[in-house]
Amino acid sequence: MPAVPFDYHAPATLAEAVSLLGSLGEDAKPLAGGQSLLPLLTLRLVRPRAVVDLHRLDELRAVRRDGGTLEVGALVRHRALERGEGPLVLCPLLQEAAALIGNVRVRALGTIGGSLAHADPAAELPAAVRALDGTILVQGAAGARAIPAEEFFAGLLTTALRPDELLTAVRLPLPGPRTGHAVEEFSRRAGDFAIVAAFAVVQLDAAGRVAAARVALAGCGPTPRRLDAVERALVGLAPSEEEIRRVVAHRPLEIEPDSDVHASAAYRRHLAGVLTVRALARAAAGARAFGP
Amino acid sequence: MAREATPATEPLRVVGRAIPRHDARDKVEARTLYAADWQMPGMLHGAVLRSAYPSARIRRLDVSRAAALPGVAAVLTARDVPRNVLWTDVPGQTSEVGPLRARLVLLADGVVRYQGEPVALVAAETPEVAQRAVEAIDVEYEPLPGVFDPAAALAPGAPRVHEEGNLLARWQIRCGDVERALERADVVIDTTYRCQMVDHAYLEPEAGVAWVDADGVLTIRASTQVIEHFRDVAEVLGVPHNRVRVIAPYVGGGFGGKEDVTVEVFLGLLAWRTRRPVRMVWSRQESLLARAKRHPFVLRYRTGAARDGTLVAQRIELLGDAGAYAYLSALVLLYATVTACGPYRVPNAEVQARVAYTNNPPTSAMRGFGAMQMVLGYESQMDQLARRLGLDPVEVRARNALHKGDRLPVGQQIETRVAVIEAARRAWAGLGPRVAPRTPHHRVGRGLACNIQPYGRIVWLHDWASAWVGIEMDGSVVVRAGVPDIGGGQASALCQIASEVLGVEPAQVAIHIADSALTPLAGTTTATRQLYMSGNAVLAAARELRARVLEVAARLLEAPPGRVELREGAAVAPDGRRVALAQVMKECARLGVPRSHLGVYHAPAGDPVDLARGGRVFPDYTFGAHAVEVEVDTETGAVAVLRHVACHDVGRAINPQSVEGQIQGGAAMGLGYGLLEEVVVEAGVNLTTSLGTYLVPTALDLPDVEPVILESGDGKGPFGARGIGEPPVGPPAAAVANAIEDATGVRITELPITPERVARALGLLESPAPGRA
Ligand SMILES: Cc1cc2nc3c(=O)[nH]c(=O)nc-3n(C[C@H](O)[C@H](O)[C@H](O)COP(=O)(O)OP(=O)(O)OC[C@H]3O[C@@H](n4cnc5c(N)ncnc54)[C@H](O)[C@@H]3O)c2cc1C
Repeated sequence: MPAVPFDYHAPATLAEAVSLLGSLGEDAKPLAGGQSLLPLLTLRLVRPRAVVDLHRLDELRAVRRDGGTLEVGALVRHRALERGEGPLVLCPLLQEAAALIGNVRVRALGTIGGSLAHADPAAELPAAVRALDGTILVQGAAGARAIPAEEFFAGLLTTALRPDELLTAVRLPLPGPRTGHAVEEFSRRAGDFAIVAAFAVVQLDAAGRVAAARVALAGCGPTPRRLDAVERALVGLAPSEEEIRRVVAHRPLEIEPDSDVHASAAYRRHLAGVLTVRALARAAAGARAFGP
Repeated sequence: MAREATPATEPLRVVGRAIPRHDARDKVEARTLYAADWQMPGMLHGAVLRSAYPSARIRRLDVSRAAALPGVAAVLTARDVPRNVLWTDVPGQTSEVGPLRARLVLLADGVVRYQGEPVALVAAETPEVAQRAVEAIDVEYEPLPGVFDPAAALAPGAPRVHEEGNLLARWQIRCGDVERALERADVVIDTTYRCQMVDHAYLEPEAGVAWVDADGVLTIRASTQVIEHFRDVAEVLGVPHNRVRVIAPYVGGGFGGKEDVTVEVFLGLLAWRTRRPVRMVWSRQESLLARAKRHPFVLRYRTGAARDGTLVAQRIELLGDAGAYAYLSALVLLYATVTACGPYRVPNAEVQARVAYTNNPPTSAMRGFGAMQMVLGYESQMDQLARRLGLDPVEVRARNALHKGDRLPVGQQIETRVAVIEAARRAWAGLGPRVAPRTPHHRVGRGLACNIQPYGRIVWLHDWASAWVGIEMDGSVVVRAGVPDIGGGQASALCQIASEVLGVEPAQVAIHIADSALTPLAGTTTATRQLYMSGNAVLAAARELRARVLEVAARLLEAPPGRVELREGAAVAPDGRRVALAQVMKECARLGVPRSHLGVYHAPAGDPVDLARGGRVFPDYTFGAHAVEVEVDTETGAVAVLRHVACHDVGRAINPQSVEGQIQGGAAMGLGYGLLEEVVVEAGVNLTTSLGTYLVPTALDLPDVEPVILESGDGKGPFGARGIGEPPVGPPAAAVANAIEDATGVRITELPITPERVARALGLLESPAPGRA
C-alpha cells in the first residue's frame, strides 16, 4: 500500500534538524535507516505530516573512544557494529547483538539510533545497551541531555525522547579485564525478531569469582529488563553452570512478558530462565578465558 | 538425486531429460511480465474496501464522499453489480445438505460474514487516490454475534452464518463391520489431531489488468489457475460467455489460492463500468487477510490392529472449518474422506466427515486439497501402532500397504502400481547414518510418513482437456493449450512431449498458453491434473499429426510406411535416407494434408457415487514417503530438521528437474505447515496479516531436501506419468511429529509444531496452555 503523502525534509546540520523538529512538533518523524519507519508508513500505521531525513548529518556517524568509554553515533549502521569496524571492535557484546538483527539487508541500512529510538521490546540493541549500562545522548531545541539507558526506555515503543529531540549517540563503558559477554537468542525463524533474548556481561575477580554480573532481557516486557536479583546473587560466586542454574532457578525473574501470536507469556518466562542461564554461563566461560 | 528407471516401452530422446525450462531464464532475468507488470494507456487503479468486522450488519453505506474525490472514476457497491452472486456446485451426500449452498456474494449485501469481506470497489487515476477513496467510504456496521469454531457452529442455537444453517457438507464411508473389528483388535489407538488454517503465501499476490477490447470483448489478464472463470465473470455482468476473455500470464505461484476467482470479477466490473483499462493488485496484507485459505480440521482416529501390526479397522471422524462461504469446501471434504485411511488396506472402515460454516476467513483449495491434512492422522496412528507393538516403522507400513488391484475403503480399485513400500524403504535408507546430538540437552530422532494423493479431477466431473499441435512450413512446431502455467513447468512439459513425438528439439517448439479466446480449453491448473490431462491431449494431437506426416514422408522417401521415423527435424528411412521436415510440410500443403491437429483427452468418467455404497471417485493416485531426522532442544522445545529425504513414484519423470522442483518445493511447504505457519484467527479477527506474523520458512530454516524419484512406468498420464504437483506437501508434518516422538518420547498431535507446543509436551511449562495454543 502506498504511504499517506507527507512532506519531506533533509536538513544539512544537526542544529537545523533540531530546529525543524521544534517547529514541526508531533507531526514530524525523523528518518534514519528506515527499516522500522518505512514499513510503518506503507502499512499506514503511522501517518506523519512530515518526515525529517537524517542522512545528511555526518556528525551522527562518528565513533569515538574516550578513555574507558566508547561513543557510538546514532547513524552508525547495524552492519558496522556487527563487523566491529574501527573502535567498535572494543565492544564485542554489541557486535554479537547486532549480528542477530534481521537479515543482512536490514543491517546494511538500520542504525543504532533508530533502533534505540524505536524501542521495540524484542529488539537486540536496546537490551544490549541496558546490559552494558549505556547512556543515551540527545539533542533538542533546549539543549543536550545524557539519559541513562535505564530511564531512556519508558514503555512499549516509547522513550524519554521529546518530539523535538534527536538521539545523537550512545555512550558505553568499555569492558574491564576478565570480562566475558554472551547473547543467547531464541526466535521462530532465522533472522526474526527475538521471542526472548538474554544479554549477559560477567566480570571475574582475580580468584575467578564474580566481581560483577549484568543480564538484560529482550522480549520480556514493554522495555528491556535487567535481572537485578540474579545479578546481585551471583557476586562472589564461582560461576559454574550448575551454580548459575541454581541462582537463576531460585530467584523470581523480574519480568512481565506478554502473549502474542508467536508465544505465550508463560513460554517467554520459561525461555527467559533457560536463556539467562545459557548467556551467563557462556559469559563466565569467556571471562575465565582471559586468565587470572 | 536418485532415480530408479524402469525400461520404457519405446526409447525416449527428450522425455526423461532434465532440460532447463524455457520460462526459467526469463524469470531469473526479470523478463517475465507477470500480471501486475502489465501497463495500458489510460489505465485506472482498482482497490477494494473490506469489512472490518467478522460478523455485522451494514447499517449505512455511503460512497458519496469517495465518489466526489478528484481522480475517482467509479465506486461500486452490491447495488451496482448486475448479478452479485457466484454459484459453485456443492455435491453433498446427505439430504441434509442441498445443492445450492455454495453461494458466494461478490460484494457484501447488507451483512458481512468475515473480516476482510469485500464491501465496495473503487477505480481511480492512481493507487494513492484509490486508497484515499476506499478510506473515504462511510460504512456504519452493527456488530452481530458470530461463530468461530466449527464444533460450536454445529451446536444447537449457534448463530447462523447463512440462513440455511451451518452444516455445509457431509460425507461418509462405511465398509465392513468396524464396531466388531475394533472390539476384536489386539490394540486400538485412539487419538484426536488438530491441524491449522494456513495461507498459500505465494510470492505473487493476486493481480490483474482488465480492459474492453476494440471488438467489445472484456479482456482480463490476471494471475489465475483457471482461465475458464471467464464464464463466471460473464454471469456476473449478465453478458454472453463469449464476450469475456481471460488470459493468464505466467503465474507467480498458485497452490490453489488462485483456483477460485480473486481479482477477475472485480476487474471485470470496474472495466465494464468505466470502459477504461483497470489494474488491481492486492497487497500482501489483503491477500493474507481475506483470500480463501486451507481448511483446519479436527481428526479423531480410532485405529485397530492385530498383534502383528495388520490393520483391522479405522473409525475416523473429521470436522473442517469452511469459514464464511462455501467455495470448494464440499470437494475438499470429499478428498479428505476418500483418503482418510491412507495408502493402506483397511478391511473395516468408517469415515464420518463434516464441514461447517463459521465467521472465519473462508477456506478452499490448497495444494493437497483435504487429502494432505489426513496424513497427520493416518501416519501418526501408524507410528503409534509401530511403537506400541515394537515394530519397525517401515515394516508396519509394508505389512499394510495397498497393492495394485486392492480396493480403497470407498470401493475404488487401484489400477496402477502402488510403490508405497519401495518409497518408504528408499526414503528411510536415504537418511544414512544417525547423527549424534550436539549437546546433552539435544535429542535426535527420525520419522517416516507415507501418503496417497489423487491426481486428476473427480470422475463425475467428466474432465477433459484439449490441445492443438501444428507444424509450421519451416518444420518448427507450435502448441496451443489453454493451460495456465503456475510455475510448475506446465508449459515446458508439453513442449517436451511434442518434441519427443515429432522428433524436433525442444527449442524448436513454441507454445501459446492460457488464453480463453485463442487457445483450446484445457481446464484448470489444479488437482495435479495438467501434465496428466493436457499431457495426454498434446500426446494425442502430436501422435495423430506424426502419423499423417509420416505417411507423406514415406511416399517422398519411397520407404515402407511404418518404418519411417521423425528425428532431428527430418523424416528418416530405415536405410538412413532423410528428408527435412520443412520439405515434408510442403508436400503436405500440396496434397491438402492437414498440418495441425486438435487433440482431446477425456479422463475416465463416472456417475456421482454414494460413498456409503462405494465406487470410483478419482482417476488414479500418486504414492510416496518422506523420512526426516530432527534435533529437539529439550530445554526450549525448538525443533530443527536436519535431513529430509522425499520419495515419490511419478510413473515417468517427463522432466526430472521439474519433478525434483515439485518434490523439494512441496516438502518445504509441508515443513512450513508442520513447524511454522498458522493463520491465527481470534474471534474472527486475523492476527497474521503480514509476513512478520505469518511465518513462512526461509532457506535458512530448511534442510536440503533430497528428492528420490521412482518411475514405475505405471500411471495414467503421458508415457505412464503420474501427477506430482500436490503429493509432496502431504508427508512432512507427520514425519516430523513422528521423529519428535522418536527423539523425545512425546507425541505432538497439533499443528504447527511450535517450540512452545513441544515445550508443553515435554512438561517444561507449569501453567496450562492458553485457550488457542
Ligand atoms: C525485515 C526486518 C527485520 C528486522 N529484524 C530486526 C531484528 O531482528 N531485531 C531488531 O532489533 N530490529 C529488527 N528490525 C528493525 C531494524 O533493526 C531497524 O533498523 C531499527 O529498528 C530502526 O532503525 P532505523 O535506522 O532503520 O530507523 P528508522 O526506521 O528510520 O526509524 C525508526 C524510529 O526511530 C526514529 N528515529 C530514528 N532515528 C532517530 C534519531 N536519531 N533520533 C530520534 N528518533 C529517531 C524514527 O522517527 C522512527 O520512529 C528489522 C527490520 C526489518 C525490515
